Amino acid sequence: MRRVYLAAVLGALLGGASLLQLSAQSAAAPPVAPNASLPRLPGGRPDLQGLWLKSAGGFQGLFIGSLDGTNFAAPGGGRGDGRGGRGAGGGPPAPRYEYTPEAEAERLDRLKRGYEDPEARCHLPGVPRALDQPAALYPVQIIQDEKYVALLHEAMHDVRIIPTDNSPHPKNYWAWDGDSRGRWEGDTLVVDVSNFNGRTWLDMAGNFVDENEHVLERFRLLDRDTILYEATVTDPTVFVKPIEMRFTLKRVPAEQQILEYSCLEGERSLQHFTEEDGGKKRRVK
Amino acid sequence: MTRVRALGVVLGCVVMGGVLAIPPSESVAQTTRRDAPFVPARLWDGKTPDFRGIWQVRGTAHVNIEGHPGGKGLAASRSIVVDPPDGKIPYKPEALARRQENYRNRATADPSLKCYQAGVPRATYVATPLQILQSPGNFAIVYQENHAFRVFHPDSRPHFDATDWWMGDTRYRWEGDMLVADVAAMTDQAWLDQAGNFHSTEFHVVEKYRMTGADRILYEARIEDPIVYARPWTLRTTLYRVTQPGARIIEDECLEDANGVRHHISPSDPRNLLKSDYSRWRKPVRP
Repeated sequence: MRRVYLAAVLGALLGGASLLQLSAQSAAAPPVAPNASLPRLPGGRPDLQGLWLKSAGGFQGLFIGSLDGTNFAAPGGGRGDGRGGRGAGGGPPAPRYEYTPEAEAERLDRLKRGYEDPEARCHLPGVPRALDQPAALYPVQIIQDEKYVALLHEAMHDVRIIPTDNSPHPKNYWAWDGDSRGRWEGDTLVVDVSNFNGRTWLDMAGNFVDENEHVLERFRLLDRDTILYEATVTDPTVFVKPIEMRFTLKRVPAEQQILEYSCLEGERSLQHFTEEDGGKKRRVK
Repeated sequence: MTRVRALGVVLGCVVMGGVLAIPPSESVAQTTRRDAPFVPARLWDGKTPDFRGIWQVRGTAHVNIEGHPGGKGLAASRSIVVDPPDGKIPYKPEALARRQENYRNRATADPSLKCYQAGVPRATYVATPLQILQSPGNFAIVYQENHAFRVFHPDSRPHFDATDWWMGDTRYRWEGDMLVADVAAMTDQAWLDQAGNFHSTEFHVVEKYRMTGADRILYEARIEDPIVYARPWTLRTTLYRVTQPGARIIEDECLEDANGVRHHISPSDPRNLLKSDYSRWRKPVRP
């Protein structure tokens, strides 16, 4: 535990305050049966709108910690190195990565250069990391109509406006968040994400993707207050086989609101890294 | 003009060019008649005015909201300050001195050069479009510039002003077909334009959004800040619907060059793409 990712810890602390409790009065949990009829828009599509927060699981849920794999977020286990184990709160098993030999060498190198995680420099997280923030930290606001499902992420003020017309991906467009095209398959929103710029990491532990990443996401409203999110990540130049991940998003009580996330505007993390790590301040011995 | 600034202007012109290239739509010819106010379409609840779409101002007020004579590749702009009638922001004397200092240092001191969120109302009249997302009971604006967004909250709850935000805390209500938004709790770090016009944390904005045609929103911001301004003042501009097919808000993320200077790099710029040559992935972008 030589090098602690203070940024992560600070982020977690700040994140604790990221949801504003406007009223101390807690909303009485409405009794919702698992099979209760779903809220729907006039066109009949499930209404995904609201403020949502990721529960345990995913990639990031496993790793807020240090280079030696100690995971502060998961005292019960989870090594946070993409090698399996369980996340905080006994969440679902972590996805397993199987890298190509060349990419594995690159991953190990990046693991030593965690300070170069683009998110530590306030860059957009990419997909699925946009949703796969540390559990219960930064909410996402969903606004939806007959043409779009828009995801407004508190983290990094990342925005994904997803057309649901199954239109084709553009040419000559390479983005941190790629290009998202959605379609409804019954009650499931299926989003095909492509056109990545090859700059994003999947977590703080050096796990990464390149420009050949392709993601298939599924959003399914299980009940009024729960969305099941599943993502299949393929990247033939990085992974030997696709990565599957899933976690749930829980509805945030109505008395809470999304807040602004300023990162570039008040960046304080890099100074906590040592100079040899590329930071601005020498480590105190 | 430094190289950085020149690049910013060039990129700004390129981005704007894409939108300005639209042939003038019918809406340009339309005139607003006070006796026949435009009635906007409704959302599917049959009640809420439908402001959805991609919108952008025309002109170059983002350079200086008090107006400027233009320059090489830059069209001149009249002041968009409509009150006071002289088009000048009514600064207190000491605040005016600070604005002049900001102006002198604008090539390096403008927070937007660091790719910070633009703040309110500046985000409305920058040289890139915005998209209004709406459904009954929901209203949000996504600004292309630095992927900032604002979720508008109903004014049935008070402002959350325990801290200062770049994009403020917004509470809104409908007055007939006009959306009125009260914006407070803003940082004193944001500027109002590239010319160093500024405010303090006592900044308070009341925005009015009113459709004056199918493709036009009249935008008005009444601004007060007892620390900086001698009296409240008002700016006004028009947002035009971006009507070309397939128009969208594109991702706007800055990349750092070797000197740590940030540049807006379009997703369609090949410099944004790193092919899977892993030795290259962390190299800074060439300005």
